[in-house]
Amino acid sequence: MVQRVARQVVPSLLAVAAALATSAVLIALSGGDPVTAFQAMLSGAFGSLDSLSEVAVKACPLLLAGLAVAVSFQAGVWNIGAEGQLLMGALAMAAIGSRLGAFPGWLGLAACLVAAALLGAAWAAIAAQLRLRRGVNEVISTIMLNFIALGVISYLVQGPLMEAGGNYPQTDAIAPALWMPRLFPPLRLHLGLLLALATAAGVYVLLYLTVAGYEMRAAGLNPNAARLAGIDVDRRVLFALMLSGALAGLAGGVEVSAITHRLYERFSPGWGFTAIAVGLLGRLSPAGVVVAAVFFGALDAGSNAMQRAAGVSSVLVSVIQATVILFLVAFERRRWWPEYHGTDATVGSPTTGRS
Amino acid sequence: MLGATGASAGSIVSGMPPRLAVTGVRKRFNGVEALAGVDVEFHAGEIHAVLGENGAGKSTLMYVLGGFLSPDSGRICIDGSAVAFATPQAARAAGIGMVHQHFTLVEALTVAENLALSLLPQAEWRLDMGRVVTDATVLARRVGLELSPLDAPVAELPVGARQRLEILKALAGTPRVMILDEPTAVLTPLEVGQLFTILRELRAQGCVVIFITHKLREVVEVADRVTVMRRGRVVLTQPSTAVTESVLAEQMVGDVVPVTRRVHDPVHHEVVLRVAQLRAVDARGVEALTDLSFTVDAGEILGIAGVDGNGQRELFEILSGVRRPQHGSVEVGGQRLGEFTPRAALSAGIGHIPPDRQRDGLVLPMSVHENCLLHCGVLARFSRHGFLRRTDARHFTAELVRRYGIRMPAIDAPVRLLSGGNQQRVVVARELAQQPRVLVASNPTRGLDIAASAAVAEALVDIAQRGCAVVLISTDLDEILDLSDRIHVLSRGRLSPPLQPPVERERLGLLMGGSAG
Repeated sequence: MVQRVARQVVPSLLAVAAALATSAVLIALSGGDPVTAFQAMLSGAFGSLDSLSEVAVKACPLLLAGLAVAVSFQAGVWNIGAEGQLLMGALAMAAIGSRLGAFPGWLGLAACLVAAALLGAAWAAIAAQLRLRRGVNEVISTIMLNFIALGVISYLVQGPLMEAGGNYPQTDAIAPALWMPRLFPPLRLHLGLLLALATAAGVYVLLYLTVAGYEMRAAGLNPNAARLAGIDVDRRVLFALMLSGALAGLAGGVEVSAITHRLYERFSPGWGFTAIAVGLLGRLSPAGVVVAAVFFGALDAGSNAMQRAAGVSSVLVSVIQATVILFLVAFERRRWWPEYHGTDATVGSPTTGRS
Repeated sequence: MLGATGASAGSIVSGMPPRLAVTGVRKRFNGVEALAGVDVEFHAGEIHAVLGENGAGKSTLMYVLGGFLSPDSGRICIDGSAVAFATPQAARAAGIGMVHQHFTLVEALTVAENLALSLLPQAEWRLDMGRVVTDATVLARRVGLELSPLDAPVAELPVGARQRLEILKALAGTPRVMILDEPTAVLTPLEVGQLFTILRELRAQGCVVIFITHKLREVVEVADRVTVMRRGRVVLTQPSTAVTESVLAEQMVGDVVPVTRRVHDPVHHEVVLRVAQLRAVDARGVEALTDLSFTVDAGEILGIAGVDGNGQRELFEILSGVRRPQHGSVEVGGQRLGEFTPRAALSAGIGHIPPDRQRDGLVLPMSVHENCLLHCGVLARFSRHGFLRRTDARHFTAELVRRYGIRMPAIDAPVRLLSGGNQQRVVVARELAQQPRVLVASNPTRGLDIAASAAVAEALVDIAQRGCAVVLISTDLDEILDLSDRIHVLSRGRLSPPLQPPVERERLGLLMGGSAG
């Protein structure tokens, strides 16, 4: 048991260590002091209650979208479209929320969050149907759907959904009744974090305690064997991709409800893409995704402090995030990308020449 | 050009070293000896057939000669001087051309563009298509090959034309040795005849033609000498005029050992599986199964013998529901299978043991326990409101592990850590636990050691004795002869009339080689 956990955790820790080391070299090369910079980042993330709250706020969308990535990757569906699905979720929250006035608070909020998840799922369903009906690789379609989602949002916030009074390309604010409650005002820490943690627990239950979750994992790891065992692999692909879209959509909805209260063009700083890194660093396990989301949230929250105190650009955080993934993939022997099992691929190749 | 035109069969020019000599070559894969010390000589101006069953090592030997694999030990000499190929390019530069069983053409490109890949020097940056056209025409005329229209996309060419293109590509380096790996597998009889003409032309020009096959008739028709391989060794090298088809068949399948056949107790005479007029077309559009019909009684083991590539895969896939036949029906206990999906087949009571357990039978990164549940029937049994009943499921696995003596580090250890024999025990245990009415087992003991093979065979006999109808599709004649109550030979998609054991191995060998028995 200890060994198995270690096998899961060690590559991630190594990757993080290697990425931090690389960044230290970069800081030194650009004339900064790595020790000061990292100290500033650390205290900027964990130095006060306020900064801790900010870490949680930054981690929240990454956690939900990271779970979205984990669910689909575990089922062998390479959903690169969490960004687009997240935007659609945010759109649902902003569009409905700015028109929904006099609902009992929690009911309205719940309804809007469900709508956000549904629109995210619907956006993912496009890619799922393209794959199942036309054999379109979901890596391509989900990436492309990200751009379409961006375009749709851009059009809506400058046109039909543009705020009534002002001249900014953004939607009206949602009704205050729909704002996600803060847990310890004035800290920005909000109920969405608990929702995200509960979702992580739910994803764990689904993947490891239910038949559907078992079938998804089996289909993801070996679709041939799963199919031959009578598992409806297509159905599991559809389910995984739509669930993934729903989780990403929820991430967008929660963010609008809790933080921005409205939708505008540059709403997401790329959460849906960072979520892929979060999912991979968390080894696609719900618990791992929680830890990875907090880590990335801390990088984000600490980066401004680092910039102020050590004069190192906060963009360095992107470098750390990216190098973590490069090292992780390099340390990892498992392939992250789909292997296509051609029906004749294994016959007569040199390695199977004997049998 | 070296060598006299029409060099006589198997002649050894005195004082001349053989064109290609292989001495003591060994190659192991994962502890299995694929080549166990191979010695063979190939002479200029001969067509030399290499014959053997699946797994005899003939393809491995050719991969070694072609530079795709490096041998663990042994020597390869060309014209008396030792060579070692690190890459296929090195082998090609040394004058060894290969035509693979599976084509290596780029389908989206035209004939000329495919030829350019081989005809133009790699260092050149300019794509000189004019030169490709001239060179290809000269080359084709030299060996008497009919050239396809150069601007036709390869995807539109029939199989025979594609193979001629492959041969032309291999000839681009003016090879002294031409290796063809089962070149006739995809060809029509007419195309086979044309291929043989080309091979004779190459021989006339002094080339060594090495021709891998398992078809006896072709050996007699075209080869000057023949080498038979079995279990990684050369068991015979003779002029083909000095051997008969039955000798070759006997050498190919092994010594005739006294077979201990189980006594089938014919208590049941109820037809459980009825397969009628199955027709299937493979991925290339070639007919893989032609009007296949057979029945299996309860408690009977029906052996289907044959060399891979004669419709075995298609038959297994249809019975396990992965493939829909173009025509024909499958009935279990009088109920016709309505649709061809794995779930429908499993629900109808057809269990299966796939030929490649790692590809189709197991999810290697998952635990032994999780692999024991990999069956929709088992999952349904342990499902309550969509949740897995964990405790009961673990008891189930523990029982399977105990009953089949599965040896493993832990029930939660990934199944990939298990030996091949124990992996197969997991597959067999899981399938039999559902008490199928029909069990389709394809090469169930392939690659297993003696103990594991015996355990699997025992399990098949046991389930048959409990009334299951067993279809045993196998290339292993020992297995077929040991276990079957009745035997069909599947050759080129057609089923031989049923044979009642005891059957002589040579007779099976001849039927498997496509000769009328």
